[in-house]
Amino acid sequence: MTPPVSAVPKHAPHNGHHDEQELFARWHEHGDREAREALVARFMPLARSLARRYDRSSEPFDDLLQVASLGLLKALDRFDPELGHSFPSFAVPTILGEMRRYFRDSGWSVHVPRGAQERALRVRDAQERLANERGRAPTVNQLAEYLEFDIEEIIDALQAIQAYEALSLDAPRPGADEDVMAYGDSMGRDDERFELVELDATITAVLERIPPRERLILRMRFVEDLTQTEIAARVGISQMQVSRLLRRSLDQLRALTDEGRDGPRRRKGGLSD
Amino acid sequence: MAESPNVRLHLSNRSENVLLVREMLSGFAESVALENSDLYDIRTAVTEAANNVVLHAYEGREGPMEVELHTTPDTVQVVVRDSGVGIRPRIRPADEAALGIGLPLIQALVHSVEFSEANGSGTEVRMEFLAGCERPLAPPEPEHTDTHPLAVDDPASTIAVTVSPATLARAVLPRILSVLAARAHFSTDRISDAQLVADSLAAHAPESLGADRLSLTARVEGRTLELCVGPLGAGRADRLVMDSDVQGLGPVIEKLTDERRVATVGSSEMLALQLVDRA
Repeated sequence: MTPPVSAVPKHAPHNGHHDEQELFARWHEHGDREAREALVARFMPLARSLARRYDRSSEPFDDLLQVASLGLLKALDRFDPELGHSFPSFAVPTILGEMRRYFRDSGWSVHVPRGAQERALRVRDAQERLANERGRAPTVNQLAEYLEFDIEEIIDALQAIQAYEALSLDAPRPGADEDVMAYGDSMGRDDERFELVELDATITAVLERIPPRERLILRMRFVEDLTQTEIAARVGISQMQVSRLLRRSLDQLRALTDEGRDGPRRRKGGLSD
Repeated sequence: MAESPNVRLHLSNRSENVLLVREMLSGFAESVALENSDLYDIRTAVTEAANNVVLHAYEGREGPMEVELHTTPDTVQVVVRDSGVGIRPRIRPADEAALGIGLPLIQALVHSVEFSEANGSGTEVRMEFLAGCERPLAPPEPEHTDTHPLAVDDPASTIAVTVSPATLARAVLPRILSVLAARAHFSTDRISDAQLVADSLAAHAPESLGADRLSLTARVEGRTLELCVGPLGAGRADRLVMDSDVQGLGPVIEKLTDERRVATVGSSEMLALQLVDRA
């Protein structure tokens, strides 16, 4: 997927070498900022392709791109066309050096590389651990501090978790305590009991059409007014999965309600039906 | 530009607000299935433009920042605007030497960029990106002046969001409210509740606003998140809450919020909602 680092930017024209020498001369000898900008524009794809090589690392891509761009600017300042090397062959080590220095300074080597999905899993696990330890769900700041992520990474993980179906029932949980069962196991056992509880409740036509577990979670949240953390503990899943199931089933219910409407005006008074 | 934007954000130039702009872009990318690499480029360039407003537009003071997102099937245009000191003092060699990859970065990442004076003073940076939306958006609803969120008492701590079409609000608003809920020190389960409120508003607001749009203001006060949805037509604020009713569960918006109030302003209504973390 990642382009080779030595690739010359695709849009470099054939007469690029001569043209570049002129631009470097204008920048180095006359401080011509236009020439420098032209060089930045020409070689930015190189910096970007280098930054992308680290895209699955612990750092947000934008930060990587910033650091790579900084390396590019340094390389533009230091490059000596008289020595006969091509600019990319000079720039790549400079840019990589800049990125490595950044990684070293930010403690990159001690982190395992992780992509967005892995981050989401780690946030989910940390959320559970902190909730268990402290008896209440953590805040974003607490998660950020605990995981040494930034706020944006936590917010994105909270969103990503909604999207990753891979995190659903069958997903193994890396690093989970041994006494925590896979979701599927913990669910099956309790389902029957929950069904009994629900038999005496009013089940409306719309609610009937979603799975029992989702129905139960909806009732716990909206009728019994339990927090998502309390629901998570009772059902034996993570709070973030409760969140995901709530969002999904409310979407389904809205779609079903729309579908079931006879006209543009909706009937009201669901509670007393 | 005469056209209405798909998203308009009014914020103060506090540095923490750049995250709201970035999350808006992430939500947009998710909604139209933008390529990740396009999102990175757009987010990086827009962050640079927004940081420029944070750092330089008001010479250390606080002031307004406006961000607009416009789309066509194969372009994305983002406008970052302020009413600060104007463009000329900002592109100076000293800046470039110090922090200075901002402008070259923007220039390298965009298809085109235009810097101009906005409204007589201040700066407008208009960036265009060539980026295909795999799921193009419906065209935004045309705006009239009366559909803008109403003037707010404290513009510094209040953000105003307008999103059209509402399907886009579904991707953008939960992210924005998550950031604000995090700022109010909500726990993750209450943040999730805020997302559910955002979902519900995005689903039902078009009906109540009478347009395929969602506009609201949001403010964090201590540990409280306050939302003010509207302007809505007469009688529509209550209806918005009732529209969130799910048979057997009750009105979802009512269940998830701590306080609801209808404010009448002229012939319009605003629905004010408060969320608090009860823990």
